Amino acid sequence: MPEGKFRQYFSGGVQSQSAIAGDAVPSISSRIPADGTTLRIEHLCMNFEDHKAVRDVTYSLPKGKLVGLIGPNGCGKSTMMKCICKVHQMTSGKIYVGGQDISGMKPAEVSKLVASVPAEAGQTFGMTVMDMVMLGRYPFVDKIWWETEEDERVVREAMRTFGIDHLRRKKVSTLSSGERQRALIAKAYVQQPILMLVDEPTSHLDMKYKLDVMEYLKNMARNDMTVLVAEHDISLMARYCDLCVIMKKGQIVTIGDPKEVVTESLIRDVYEVDARVGLDVDGEIYVLPKKARWDNNPDEVHFGSQNGSYE
Amino acid sequence: MPLQFEYQPTQGVPEEAPVEPKKKRNINPVAAVVGVIRTNRPTNLDEEESELSVKKRRFRLIVAFGIVMSIVTFLISISISSGGIVPVTDAIAAMFSAIEKGGQNLTTVELYIYQSRLPRAIAAIGVGAGLAIAGCMYQAIIRNPLVDPYITGVSSGAGCFAVAIVALGVSIPFIGSNTLYIIPVAAIVGGLIAFAITMGVAEGSGGSASNYILAGVIVGFALSSVQTVFLSMAKDNLTNAMWWLYGSFANITWENAWIVMVPALGISLLAMVWAREFNLFMMGEDQAKQLGMNVKRFKRTMMIIASVLTALCVAFCGIIGFVGLIIPHACRMALGTDHRLIMPASIVLGACLMLFSDLIARTVLSPLELPVGAITAMIGTPIFAYMLVKRGREYDA
Repeated sequence: MPEGKFRQYFSGGVQSQSAIAGDAVPSISSRIPADGTTLRIEHLCMNFEDHKAVRDVTYSLPKGKLVGLIGPNGCGKSTMMKCICKVHQMTSGKIYVGGQDISGMKPAEVSKLVASVPAEAGQTFGMTVMDMVMLGRYPFVDKIWWETEEDERVVREAMRTFGIDHLRRKKVSTLSSGERQRALIAKAYVQQPILMLVDEPTSHLDMKYKLDVMEYLKNMARNDMTVLVAEHDISLMARYCDLCVIMKKGQIVTIGDPKEVVTESLIRDVYEVDARVGLDVDGEIYVLPKKARWDNNPDEVHFGSQNGSYE
Repeated sequence: MPLQFEYQPTQGVPEEAPVEPKKKRNINPVAAVVGVIRTNRPTNLDEEESELSVKKRRFRLIVAFGIVMSIVTFLISISISSGGIVPVTDAIAAMFSAIEKGGQNLTTVELYIYQSRLPRAIAAIGVGAGLAIAGCMYQAIIRNPLVDPYITGVSSGAGCFAVAIVALGVSIPFIGSNTLYIIPVAAIVGGLIAFAITMGVAEGSGGSASNYILAGVIVGFALSSVQTVFLSMAKDNLTNAMWWLYGSFANITWENAWIVMVPALGISLLAMVWAREFNLFMMGEDQAKQLGMNVKRFKRTMMIIASVLTALCVAFCGIIGFVGLIIPHACRMALGTDHRLIMPASIVLGACLMLFSDLIARTVLSPLELPVGAITAMIGTPIFAYMLVKRGREYDA
């Protein structure tokens, strides 16, 4: 990772933000209310017909934090994130981003406050990296056919920051997973949000790129942006995150410093799996699952019928 | 012993731009047209030139090149026909003098050009552009490379109604049974009814892109079987019905050429207004929504526009396949995914391919005229196969 470059852009707080965003966009801290709360969610509920995906969730996140959103598959993490960026219309509740109630706002206005990074680029029909990152400028180029030189400058700046500028004419489909993930983050970054939602950014990356992506996210958080990351690798989350939001069955179990909240009993409660939680030599948390529970109780597992034939 | 592990944050390994080896330029004729647009850069590579201005210049080139190419194809098309070849200059002179005379007291050459070639060429431009743009719109919205303008059942609905008219001699109130417009009107009505059913089923099932395909396919099947029933009842009129089903410009006259061309080309050009929104769709609906687009409304509006456009193209000239499927892909392979470039390119390529196909359809075995739909596929397939081999690898569609 180009550490030096990052310092250059992320070190100066207000100043560096304006260096990237241009003078027209005020710094992140000036777009957040005085109490420093980036996101406030009150009694959020989201139902899909008879399935309650998110049930009465209330919490708030301060600015400049890297927040891990942890929970088993299907616990409502993605649904909640989609409610925050207005992809889903919430059933009930209130969401405030930067002090503004998003339910009454136009989608294009919300997208200047909240950006979301998908887990996958999907099928891109041979789109180039530059074209993809440029899509993030859509909310800013309303009713004009071409982007402006200013948009191009912001995009190139972001691509340099994320170390993908030399790839800008390549096709997204030809990138490695790590490069593609950075391109996706850059696409969200050029929206100049105060809150970024990242869905499983490291799920198919190797160790090096996992750390790489987390470093980028951490650096954005250092620059006052709040970054909410849904991720299954609890050890990685505990290592990087300032806060952890633990969810189970559509509800918040607990929120807090990962060093305090991630415990063996919590893992057992949330995932129904026995795991060893300890500190390594650096004093960082690691989480290692033990054998699955049903392994201890073979009666619960049946492959085929009693006489050995499948029915 | 407790498990120990230790890792360092990744070191600042500078990521250098890989030096791209200079490719040997072997000029081949097919890629030449594309190459002029793609690699239109000064030889002393000015690296600081912004991507945006490169794109804008490509756009201007496509428009300029497209206009020239269309005019050339148009002139070739009106100079050649089953009646013989006239020099292009004579053809132009004859065209203008015929238009000046208003179609009265024409010489032989003027008569050929004015009565048969000119209206056909005009209609071919509209239909070619319209089908290519409709295909381009559907492919972007549904995000599926196999989609063509007939995916929502428009062609089957139109075919079903048109065959019913031809085969059974049905008459429509107010229009009668024997006028120039009876088949087109029936085809448009049929196409739009089919689309309405498809849309009803797809929206009823949640309105996702793949549900649109499924709904379109089943509606298409249903209406095709009804059409088959009509065909088997047709007996004496079978040839007429088949003619319409394979597409032809033979029935185009001055009265209906403009009815096809003006709205088809107009809607095609209008659709370019939403080129940026189509770009957004390439990342999927959630991402488009996240970036502040009203996805549902946009999708519905564009589906309706594309279907009306398709119905219009199909109405007068029958079902001409291939153009709507292949032209947008060819443009994407050549120019990338930015719809601000591929939509104008699709209009031009679609119009030119259609002009050429019509030219071949009416001259190769003259006086016998071939169905133009067969010709489009015959010309287009080798070109497309070549492009697929050359560029298919990085085009993960």
